[in-house]
Amino acid sequence: MSEAIIQIKDVHKYFGHVHALKGVSLEIQKGEVVVIIGPSGSGKSTLLRCINRLEEFDKGSIVVDNIPLDSAKNINAVRTEVGMVFQQFNLFSHLTVLENITLAQKIIRKREKAQAEKVAMDLLDKVGIPDKAKAFPIQLSGGQQQRVAIARALAMNPKIMLFDEPTSALDPEMIQEVLDVMMNLAKEGMTMVVVSHEMGFTRAAANRAILMDGGQIIEEAPPNILFNNPTHERTKLFLSKVL
Amino acid sequence: MEEIEPSVPGNPIDSHNPLPKGKGDFDLWWGLVIGVIALIALLVILVPDPFSRAFNFIKDGIGISLFVTIISFVLVLVVGLIGGLGRIAKNPVIAGIATVYVEVIRGIPLLVQLMFWYFAFPSVIQGIGKAIGSSALENYIADPVVMATIGLTFCYGAYMSEVYRAGIQSIPKGQMEAARSLGMTYFQAMRYVIIPQAVRVILPPVGNEFISLLKDSSLVSVVAVGDITLRGRQFMALSFKPVETFIMVALLYLVLTLFSARMVTWIERITKLER
Repeated sequence: MSEAIIQIKDVHKYFGHVHALKGVSLEIQKGEVVVIIGPSGSGKSTLLRCINRLEEFDKGSIVVDNIPLDSAKNINAVRTEVGMVFQQFNLFSHLTVLENITLAQKIIRKREKAQAEKVAMDLLDKVGIPDKAKAFPIQLSGGQQQRVAIARALAMNPKIMLFDEPTSALDPEMIQEVLDVMMNLAKEGMTMVVVSHEMGFTRAAANRAILMDGGQIIEEAPPNILFNNPTHERTKLFLSKVL
Repeated sequence: MEEIEPSVPGNPIDSHNPLPKGKGDFDLWWGLVIGVIALIALLVILVPDPFSRAFNFIKDGIGISLFVTIISFVLVLVVGLIGGLGRIAKNPVIAGIATVYVEVIRGIPLLVQLMFWYFAFPSVIQGIGKAIGSSALENYIADPVVMATIGLTFCYGAYMSEVYRAGIQSIPKGQMEAARSLGMTYFQAMRYVIIPQAVRVILPPVGNEFISLLKDSSLVSVVAVGDITLRGRQFMALSFKPVETFIMVALLYLVLTLFSARMVTWIERITKLER
């Protein structure tokens, strides 16, 4: 097996007195799709946010694409390679869809306007809303906004994509359009870490499913094994509630 | 500051605007500006003595008042931005310095600050010049307009810092996180994402600050700046007509402030963007 693209070793995180991550270790290979499930407050979003250091961890080590996340200097280098998709989309509300996708390309990747717009339009095609290029985020549905957010992250040509509950803020009929985009990404071989309770997506796309609870990884296995034959009582209890 | 032109087709007109609006989007409050101008013209024409004399004497001050106000205001926008960013800085030293600046300056009357800059500050410089044997510093003489501008800038910069801070903090945290997660530095995220959005939020209070500054610029008359107020006082001393003199002074300020208020409303309207 090749060197893992994400190496998490014994990571601890405190929010004041709350011990949010209690020694999490996890390796993710290039091209792997990993879905993290678990009850709210289990530390799954915190773990995800530690991978691009939106949260700083207090102990342990995380190495992303051979870059250790320990000093402030390399963090922007890591973030450029790691795309992040948020539950609340977080599109830049003062910019059009096209500008949302080209802004970081121009600033960080130093692409010319025309080239950045070409990348953006290709991605909008890919996520199925090229006609919304000139619209402002507020004029889009939640599902459309989330697809733009995915396109915005992809425009930086990241090696890894992180999804923090990407469908939790969406109306039910919009969930599938976002999952379809994610499914295609997975098929193309993108390394993905997804915090989500979409069991259908997990079964279809994930190489591994991980159950977290109380700031620890309880169990990890291929989704079919985890869902059908969980070994831990905690996993059985959780699955009985969500499946 | 990067500003992106809002280009939404059919950008909806703000229906919450409390101002009465005539046909063709004409802001009826402009009538008030025109009314005051007409009143000045009427007084000057119908009662030339002393109003025409007063106007001609005082009008030199209008340019000075506007000059001091506008230069100070441009500097205040810069100082306020730096102060506002300082107030929200994670670095405790920077945040501490910014907080001390804001709290100390806000706690001292503007008139006292202006007097400090014009009367006390040059003495300090001269003292330093004497101590280090620099004749250039020892013979330093303060220029009233420069000192008044520094004084207004320092004072209003503190208030403006708080306006910026509130504006920046009103932008949802997710905007910064999204920008940072794309690889932008803190300052790139501020420049391209946070501040362009914050500017729209703070436009009304910034406009109010401008109007306050315009009015408070009358205090610079105390430190020998020949603004509207000082020219008014001089005319009163010449003419012995305090009532007419200060009616004219008041009307001139009123035209400027009413006009500014209309401009602020107009700028708010054209930069309004649905969110």
